[in-house]
Amino acid sequence: MASNQSNSDMSSQQQEPNQQRKKRRKLTHETTESRIQNDGTGENKNQPTVRWRTDSTRRIYSSKLLEALRRSRRTTPRNEKTREVRETADRVLAVAARGKTRWSRAILAKRARFLRVKKVKKPKVTKDRKLPEREKRRKFPAVEKKVKVLSRLVPGCRKVSFVNLLEEASDYIAALEMQIKVMATLSEILNAAGGGGGGGAGVGGGSSS
Amino acid sequence: MDLTTGHGARSEPELDETGLESLQFGEDIRHLITPPSENESSFTALLELPANQAVELLHSDSGQKQYPNLTFPSNTSLLERAARLSFFNGGSNSTDSSSVPSNSSSKNPETAAAVKCEPLETESFLDSSQPLVSDPTVDNSAPNARSSSKRKEREKKVKAASKKNKKESSQQEEEKLPYVHVRARRGQATDSHSLAERARREKINQRMKLLQELVPGCNKISGTALVLDEIINHVQSLQRQVEFLSMRLAAVNPRIGFNLDSILAAELSWNGWSTGPLMSKGLCDYPKSGSLIDSNFSSMVMPLMWPEAQVNGNRHQFQQQWQVDALRQPLWGREEDSHNFITPENSLLSYDSSANSDAKAIRLLHFVSNMDRLKLD
Repeated sequence: MASNQSNSDMSSQQQEPNQQRKKRRKLTHETTESRIQNDGTGENKNQPTVRWRTDSTRRIYSSKLLEALRRSRRTTPRNEKTREVRETADRVLAVAARGKTRWSRAILAKRARFLRVKKVKKPKVTKDRKLPEREKRRKFPAVEKKVKVLSRLVPGCRKVSFVNLLEEASDYIAALEMQIKVMATLSEILNAAGGGGGGGAGVGGGSSS
Repeated sequence: MDLTTGHGARSEPELDETGLESLQFGEDIRHLITPPSENESSFTALLELPANQAVELLHSDSGQKQYPNLTFPSNTSLLERAARLSFFNGGSNSTDSSSVPSNSSSKNPETAAAVKCEPLETESFLDSSQPLVSDPTVDNSAPNARSSSKRKEREKKVKAASKKNKKESSQQEEEKLPYVHVRARRGQATDSHSLAERARREKINQRMKLLQELVPGCNKISGTALVLDEIINHVQSLQRQVEFLSMRLAAVNPRIGFNLDSILAAELSWNGWSTGPLMSKGLCDYPKSGSLIDSNFSSMVMPLMWPEAQVNGNRHQFQQQWQVDALRQPLWGREEDSHNFITPENSLLSYDSSANSDAKAIRLLHFVSNMDRLKLD
């Protein structure tokens, strides 16, 4: 009796993680109301508006950007400086995103393209969540076109569902805004230092002579 | 007769009288049927069928082999109901309800059949519940996931079947399956498709609201297509700005060494954000160019007009000047660049808002130009 009961206890414990795993899979698979509510209250810090506007993020990004720019100064082709600076900035931005978003991972993967392993594509298994008897309601073709355009703009989001695309786009926009602010300030300061030093020295040299 | 020979090999309990047993089981099934109708109207339909089928099965000749083909889900629902209603099982209700579905969904027909027989018998025999039931739980722990999904699907079918008592059904659903949170609102369809779609639409609307907050000027626009238009335009403009800024940075970069830059940045920040060193250097005022700053673009246009003169020759001079300045700074006890790199950046770039930072940057630019002239004199 005791052994049986202990067996049942163990099996119930084994069942619980299975249930939890299934639960997690179910929650991502099927949308639920309480999960939406939870998104509102529990994930306050993960909202893109908050995440990309903190001072610490800016500081981290700017310092890393300077480092990366300095390093890339040495090994740069003479012709395409703009593109190289932009790609450096994008890469540092993706690093600052810490890999939580799809676009950041796509940007980082661009660099490591030669390392990418060719994946064998399995035949796509259609979800049987919506039974074939029910005709799936697609959005209007006008919206569809715009969705495609948007998916092309956000890196790494070509074949992503509409819901996830919206989320990625909001995070991407917030990140881009931060990037622009930091780069603008940086270029201001550098220009000021360079321009001021050069101009001042020139004036000084001119006046003395 | 046949039943006893079939079951005797597997299970312990006393199966002497087959006729009596089947009769009793039929009675028990009817007992099971009637009370649930008090709680829910929806389950009776499910229960009637399997009861009859179960009775037929019991009366049929080949007991075990037929079981797995016919009545898997219905029997489990029956068993589940029986377990939950706790007519026959004393204390081990929860284990029964968890073990029973797992038993039902196992692929092995023989063990499933044996297992199904045993709970059935436990229902009819009050004594032999515990040792029988706990045995099958050892076998099937993996299929529990599958069983729970089946259970959920059954629940949904039940909900679809009964259009009345929507609230009750949803409550029941939440009772049994604590991880399902979809709530059927009053007056709305309760089938699984519409529920899932409604939840998905809510998700989409939430995300769209967030995007509208991010993109300026989208709050007034209504309609998905127009909002998407605005979003696309905004993303394109942001990317163009990044391109433009990177062009400027690329132009700026070769002229200034980055060691210099860090020291410069530190000084600027120190001077810009506190007036102490300003006083020490004898500079009381610096021109405030707030009027020049409207947006990023305007502030960016201004430095372009500055003379971009000698490149390398002045750099050393410049560096020396700045290093001298750095030495004079009380803050700068330590001398050099690389390990100071982080702190100046931190102090510089702790700005509060975009407008203020731009204003400060312009102020610093002017200050820098003034300081240079002073040093040279």
